[in-house]
Amino acid sequence: MNGEAAAPVTLRSGLAAPHAAGSTLRLAAVAAALAVFAAGALAPQHLASDFVLKLASGGLLLGILALSVAFLMSQAGLVTIGVASIYGGVGYLFAIAMSEWDLSPLAAVAFSLAIVIVYAALLGALIIRTTPLAFMMLTLAAGEMISHAVLLEGLRDYTSGADGLVVGFRGALFGLEAGDFAVPARFWPIAWTFAWGIGVAVWLVRRSRLGAILRATRQNEERMRFSGFDTYAPRLAAFVLVNVIAGICGILHVLNTGFVSPESLGLGVSTNALVAALIGGAATSTGPLLGGVIFAFAQDQFGARGFTQLLTGLAIVIFIVVFPRGVVGALVDWARRLFQRRARDIP
Amino acid sequence: MIALLIANSLALASLLIMMASGLALIYGLRDVINFGHGALYMLGAYLGYSISHVAGFWAALIAAPILLALVGIAFEYLALRPLQQRSHIEVALVTLGLGIILGQALIFAYGGEARTVEAPPSLAGSVTIFGLTYPVYRLFLIAAGLGSCGLLALWLNCTTSGLHIRAVSQEPSVARMMGINADRLSLAVTSLSAAFAGVAGVLAGPYLSVDPGMDVTMIVSCLIIVVIGGAGSIAGAIVAALLYGFVQVAGSVFLPDLAALAPYALLMVVLLLAPRGVGRGRAPA
Repeated sequence: MNGEAAAPVTLRSGLAAPHAAGSTLRLAAVAAALAVFAAGALAPQHLASDFVLKLASGGLLLGILALSVAFLMSQAGLVTIGVASIYGGVGYLFAIAMSEWDLSPLAAVAFSLAIVIVYAALLGALIIRTTPLAFMMLTLAAGEMISHAVLLEGLRDYTSGADGLVVGFRGALFGLEAGDFAVPARFWPIAWTFAWGIGVAVWLVRRSRLGAILRATRQNEERMRFSGFDTYAPRLAAFVLVNVIAGICGILHVLNTGFVSPESLGLGVSTNALVAALIGGAATSTGPLLGGVIFAFAQDQFGARGFTQLLTGLAIVIFIVVFPRGVVGALVDWARRLFQRRARDIP
Repeated sequence: MIALLIANSLALASLLIMMASGLALIYGLRDVINFGHGALYMLGAYLGYSISHVAGFWAALIAAPILLALVGIAFEYLALRPLQQRSHIEVALVTLGLGIILGQALIFAYGGEARTVEAPPSLAGSVTIFGLTYPVYRLFLIAAGLGSCGLLALWLNCTTSGLHIRAVSQEPSVARMMGINADRLSLAVTSLSAAFAGVAGVLAGPYLSVDPGMDVTMIVSCLIIVVIGGAGSIAGAIVAALLYGFVQVAGSVFLPDLAALAPYALLMVVLLLAPRGVGRGRAPA
């Protein structure tokens, strides 16, 4: 989690002028990434079974949620355990906007994300100033309040209580009809594209001035304030960003299942996202996404034997004690060591 | 009516005090919130259930805390000390993972259904005091809770080791410079906190019930209390536990629909007014 804790922080943008060798390397990297993206978007539908595709898209959605948790944790040092309330809450907003107010799907998406932005800005403005421990508890409290509010008797006409809500979807979104989202082969490219889009966006924010200010504030807030930086607005922006990502993830989830239930707001979803981030490596942009997919497949194996929670517990202990930087961090370390040994062998 | 309300909230608060003061003690010495504390409480409750079937309630009340103290010692040596150099949030997450594993192991061993423990015959029934008819067991619970709280205050305020614990909790680096061995204190505190969790677990058996969800319910309540009380402050934790018990009980009487929200609302209000909690806790590192 503290992968770059000791690294000095520069406040210049990471995209400094590259020299010639660097730019070809960079072009090659971009080309390779695009090739992987295209292959991943087109190939799996023809190779993998529906069951595997369904698990993998579920894993990517969990990965996106994990990415939002990991971003706030690694950049700002703040742990949020309330993302599930956004993830599930957006589903409810989306469903209610379409069934009660007859909005088109696109308008309903815009409406629910706008509510998320307003809510996150208000909540963040109140809780971002507190200590990290208090912040964690306040996100828990806010999340639990929302998940209890859904079950309130007075809101039963809108949320239908513990029964959950079927999404009444009319018209098309991204050129797909309601039923299409439930087809694993058609949903996979959407999940894959969003995972990449959000992954790249988070990677860019991490490298931007905002990311640098967040990391510097995490290390020493007092010194940052003393140096004339505003430490409040950047963290508020990060909190809103994280919640918007969780909201997008929630909309994808509700499109896929066509159904929202109180379980999607529960604490379990938030801890799963945290665990997925730990498995993959919270300090990277790819780690949480990979962690989400690993967790989804592992959960399928353990869940079949009724040990879903045991998996969560074991994964937390093993990954923090043995692989504190997650799968991706461990792979990077291993590759670096291999590379250095090669370089030493060549005279 | 009011008297009954206060008595009920005191009974709930007694359990919470035993749990939350243990959490606050560990936090004071190690800077780590022990998320596994709820699982220790659950272990205490299930041990109490098993032992009281074999040897009776009073034997359980003595044996379970001793066993739990041993678990606490193992926890100190196997988890807290090896991970001393890690960041506090990582250690806290490890305790969360260990707690989940312990809870799952208990569910695996005892099954998923709720168990009931009978109060011993000497504590069954109810008495009438000042015109209020009240179960004897709950009075015993209140006495045990307030009694243990008093003993703890006596230990912390009147003995040398208590003085050292308060010193480390307030200024860890200065206390170490003065030659206080924080590791040895931590061993004592961790095993004591685990033993307290064991007592709370055994006492909770006849009062609440012994069921698979009890660890999560308890740890969420305790976290709220410790944060309200100001992390690391034991007096703050005790005040917060009393406040929490009252809000919980009063909420379920006056606003049954919203009772589940009451503790969270309390947390929000207190933390927005006083971000460091009500007690004189140390600023978190």
